[in-house]
Amino acid sequence: MRALLAVGAAVLAALVLGFPYLVNAYWLSVGVLAIFYAIVAASWALLAGYAGQFSFGHMAFVSLGAYTSGLLVVSFGVPIPLGIAAGIVMCALVGSGIGFVCLRMRGPYLALFTVAFSEVLRIVIVSENEVTGGSGGLEVPPMFHIKSDMPYYYLGLVLLGASLAIMLALVHSRWGLFFRAIRENEEAAAASGVKVVRFRIIAFAISSSFAGLAGGFFGHYIAILTPDIGSVDQMGLVVAMAVIGGAESIVAVTIGALGLEFLVEALRSYGQWRLVLFGALLLLTMRFARNGLLALGWEYAKAILPLSLWEGVGGRGRGLNMTNPSPSPRSASQPEPTRGGGVS
Amino acid sequence: MSPIIEARTLTRRFGGIVAVRDLDFAVGHGELVGLIGPNGSGKTTTINLLTGHLSPDAGHIFVRGARADGLAPSAFAALRVGRTFQITQLFSRMSVLENMLVPGLARPHSHRAQATREARQHLEFLGLAALENMQAKNLSGGQQKLLELGRALMLDPEILFLDEPFAGVNPYLRDEIIGLVRRLHAGGRTFVIVDHDIEALQRLVHRMVVMSRGEKIADGTVAAVREDQEVLRAYAGV
Repeated sequence: MRALLAVGAAVLAALVLGFPYLVNAYWLSVGVLAIFYAIVAASWALLAGYAGQFSFGHMAFVSLGAYTSGLLVVSFGVPIPLGIAAGIVMCALVGSGIGFVCLRMRGPYLALFTVAFSEVLRIVIVSENEVTGGSGGLEVPPMFHIKSDMPYYYLGLVLLGASLAIMLALVHSRWGLFFRAIRENEEAAAASGVKVVRFRIIAFAISSSFAGLAGGFFGHYIAILTPDIGSVDQMGLVVAMAVIGGAESIVAVTIGALGLEFLVEALRSYGQWRLVLFGALLLLTMRFARNGLLALGWEYAKAILPLSLWEGVGGRGRGLNMTNPSPSPRSASQPEPTRGGGVS
Repeated sequence: MSPIIEARTLTRRFGGIVAVRDLDFAVGHGELVGLIGPNGSGKTTTINLLTGHLSPDAGHIFVRGARADGLAPSAFAALRVGRTFQITQLFSRMSVLENMLVPGLARPHSHRAQATREARQHLEFLGLAALENMQAKNLSGGQQKLLELGRALMLDPEILFLDEPFAGVNPYLRDEIIGLVRRLHAGGRTFVIVDHDIEALQRLVHRMVVMSRGEKIADGTVAAVREDQEVLRAYAGV
């Protein structure tokens, strides 16, 4: 099985790297957009799936990052990479502020608050047309002055890879453990010594930073910024991508976002009906596969494929071991363990 | 020697209701204290105040002589004040081991390898070692209570507040918990135990504090409290 996985990974890597040479310009641009959505959806999953903070204003941070970079580059001649970096910092700061203000908000209240933030930002961008270009949009310089989208694709891949590496390292660190503990039970997390306020704000700041990065990349790719980037429609799309992929796994969300962006474009000839299909898929996922379609598929694969194939990859035998007997009775004389690894 | 934890004229209101009124309460090192009282007498509010989950409206809390009222629960945990909850509060969709690692890694200067080693030792002590990969929500009610106790132990607490540890557990598990508390107490830990099961508490504690309508009405040895007429009136309706 391990060899099979290795071969599969190699084929997948070759397909991803060779993608620009296999498709036409249209599908290459879809690939770039899919990468953009993958970064946004993965960073939203970090906040909502891991830290349990259901923000509906994530696309507002994409917009904020894009406009911060765009305005700095257009108005002050700042180099594009520096502009994008400034957008990331701006999103981290504003994200911290939003995280602080929302400390006591949960569930629908948090969602509504972040929708309101998103709309306020969008209306400000529309209203301040002398600075932002308003509804007509703000033209910003592209990153690469060539006709092909190929450099954007490869740059996007690098950004996606780096973002995923950082996010995965984060969720497997003690911070990731604390995020999940807060998601599961804030009171118990606090009683366990987790600084809940600090980690809620950190989750918001980090997640917003990645949204800002995606926004900067997107802005200098399409070269025109409009207030619609941060619209509720766009946010709904990102949430759907994350939920269908599996919001509690960064990798599943990424695959979900990439897959759905391609699916939506592939079904474009069906017009609005493709969105109906998309909505139905979302409803079915929420009803029958709360952990996303990929987790469901993985479970089915494990159930269907022969046991021998999973040996050596930890596919079975990890996680729940329902065959475990009840805990063995402890000896009455067994002493309490002490800190530092010794036994008193 | 100053008490580990001390409340001075502690008061907490919820709207017009005074849940805890002018409470003076101190627990010294190595004590095993039972906190009893009828429903609504303010026992759980007292625990919530003494572990930072509620802030007092008046009065002060001292941990080893230092002011602690107004601190967050995480700060109390860092001061080695641990607790369990009336209704078991676990990280349900995390594994048993991960439940233990949260407090283990929240401690300053902690390392994952050492925290994991300690967690496994505590799980062994509690009889949960074989279940370390199981999600907490899949444990039985009794196992969940033990896990919550284990999670509190990961803070290496000097004092542990147990909120109704015997509620809803079968007699076998109740004896199991009593045995565990005795061993932990013999190892130097201090306990304050809230429960309605007076029989179980009498077997366990050395000192009993009785609350009624938010006020402390008795504080003494188990024998003295049992003879106290005010306690009989308030608690048993005699």
